Amino acid sequence: MRKRNDWWRSIVLGLFLVFMIVPLIATLIFSVSIRWDRSVWPEGYTLQWWLEVTSHPAFMMTLQNSFTASFATMFGLLVLVTPTAYWMKLKVPQGKPIIELISSFSFGVPGVVLALALIRFYSRVPLPIINHPAILVAACMVLSLPFMYRPVLNALEAIDFRVLTEAAQSLGANSWVILAEVIVPNIMSGIISGCLLVFSTVFAEFTLTNLLVGTRFKTFPLYLVEFTRFDGRQASALAVVSFVVAWVTSLLIIWVTSRGGRETTHIVGR
Amino acid sequence: MTLSITRVHGTNKQRLSWTAWLGLLPFFIFGLAFEFLPLLTVIQSSLTGNGTLTFDFYRQAMDPLFLRAFGNSIKLSATTASFGVLFGTPVAYAIITTRNKFVQNALTALSDVTTNFGGAPLAFAFIVILGSTGVITLLLKQIGISLYPNFRIYSISGLTIAYLYFQLPLMILLIIPALYGLKREWHEAALNLGASTFRYWLEIALPILFPALMSGFLLLFANSFGAYATAWTLTGSDVDLITIRIAALIRGEVQLAPELADALSMISLFIMSACVIGYMWLSNLSIKARQ
Repeated sequence: MRKRNDWWRSIVLGLFLVFMIVPLIATLIFSVSIRWDRSVWPEGYTLQWWLEVTSHPAFMMTLQNSFTASFATMFGLLVLVTPTAYWMKLKVPQGKPIIELISSFSFGVPGVVLALALIRFYSRVPLPIINHPAILVAACMVLSLPFMYRPVLNALEAIDFRVLTEAAQSLGANSWVILAEVIVPNIMSGIISGCLLVFSTVFAEFTLTNLLVGTRFKTFPLYLVEFTRFDGRQASALAVVSFVVAWVTSLLIIWVTSRGGRETTHIVGR
Repeated sequence: MTLSITRVHGTNKQRLSWTAWLGLLPFFIFGLAFEFLPLLTVIQSSLTGNGTLTFDFYRQAMDPLFLRAFGNSIKLSATTASFGVLFGTPVAYAIITTRNKFVQNALTALSDVTTNFGGAPLAFAFIVILGSTGVITLLLKQIGISLYPNFRIYSISGLTIAYLYFQLPLMILLIIPALYGLKREWHEAALNLGASTFRYWLEIALPILFPALMSGFLLLFANSFGAYATAWTLTGSDVDLITIRIAALIRGEVQLAPELADALSMISLFIMSACVIGYMWLSNLSIKARQ
C-alpha cells in the first residue's frame, strides 16, 4: 500500500517544485540571454544587460537607499521592541494585550490605507516629516513590527529571564545593564532572526515607499518597477538581484532559527 | 510568616504598578503616533463634510464604479485563497508524509522563502514566463496551444496565477501544524472498521481540519485583499482593484474629494481586519483542539 501511495506524492511535490522554481530560473536565464522573445530557447548568452544596468549611477544609489531604510527600520525596532518586551514580561504582564494590538496592527491594515492615514495625519500636525524618508522608516517600522516582536518575545519566553534578572540584581546591576549584558546575549537568536525578517520585508517594500516618498527617495524596488516599463532585460537583472537578496536573508533566518531552538517565525502578510 | 511575605510581595507589586507602566510608554507613544492617531484622522475625515457628521462619502463609495473595484478585489482574493487552500493542503500533506527528510526540509524552506516573495520582482518573473512573448507562452505556441489573446498576464486571471505564487506556500506553512495533529492511529482505526481512505478523509480528517482550513482561507484572503505592489507592477492601473483605486486617489491621478479615499480606505480596512480577526479566532480554536 505504501508503494502504491508514493506516485501521487511525487507528482504533487514535483508540480509544486516546478511552479515555484520555473519563474525564478526563467528570470535568471532571461537576464543573460541575447534575445529570448522569439524562440523556444535563448538566441545566445551575454552579460551585456547586467553590465548596463549596474553601470547606471542610480543602481548603486537605489541599492544604498534600500539598505539605509532597512537598517534604520531594523535599528529603530530593536531599540523600541527589545526593552519593551523585556519590561512587559518582567513587570507589566497586564500590558500584553495592548502591546500585541500595536504589534499586529499591520496584519489587519492594507499598505495603501496605512500610507493614506500617515499622509492625512502628518499633513495636519506641525511635524515636517511628510515626503521625508523619516516617515517611510516610521511606516516600515509599523509594517515590520510583528516580525521583530514575535521572535524576540518567543526567545524571551524560552529563557528564564526572571532568574537571570534576579541573579544580576543581587550582584548590583541596574535594569539597563541587565538588559544589555544579561538578557540580550541570551535572546540573540530571536533578535537576529527578527532583524533579518525586518530587513527582508523592508528591502522588498514597494507600496509604502511609492506612496509616501516616491521618487524623492528612490529605493531598489521602485527602480525595478521603472525598468519593467521600458527595458525588460535590464529589469530581469534587477529582479534577480532582489531574488538573491530575499533568498540569502531567508536562508540565514532558517539557519539562525534552527540553531536557536524551537522558536518559529512565520512570515505572514505583506 | 508565609502570609506576611505574600502581603509584602503584593503591596510591592502594586506600588510598582503605575511606574512600571511608564516603561511601556515609548512603545504606546509609537503606536499612537504612527498607527492609531493617523487611523482616527481617516475615520474622522471620512465622516465629516462641511464640519458636520455625514455619511455622504460612504454613499459615494457605493458608486457602481467603486463597487466594481471592491467586487474585483473580493473575487481575486476569494479565488486565490480557494486555490491556495485547495492546492496547498495536498502539497503540505505530501511534504509531511514524505520519508525523505531532505525533500521535507528543502520544500518547507522553499515555502518559507517564497511566501515572502511578492511585489515587483515576482510580477516581472511572471511577465518573463507568461507575457505575450514569455518563455512558456512561446513553448506552448510551439506545441500548438496559443495562450494569447484569450489569456493575458496583465489581467485578473494573470494576477490570480501570480498571487498563487505566494498564497500556496503561505497555506502550506499554515496547515502543516494542523496536519501533524492528525493521528496515524485514527486513519488505521477507520480502515480497520472497514472505511475507505476516501471516507476517512471525508468524515474524519476534513471535519477535524475544518477550523484550520477556514482560518487559512481567511488569512490568504486578507493577504491578497491588501496586496498592491504585485498588481501595480503587473498591470499598472489596468486592473480595477480597490487598492489600486485608493493609491491612484492618494497620488492625485484622479481628482476626487480626498474624503472619498478615506471612506474607501475604511471599507477596505473593515473587510481586511474582519478576515484577520476571524483568522486569529479560528486558529486559536484549532490550536486548542489539538492540545
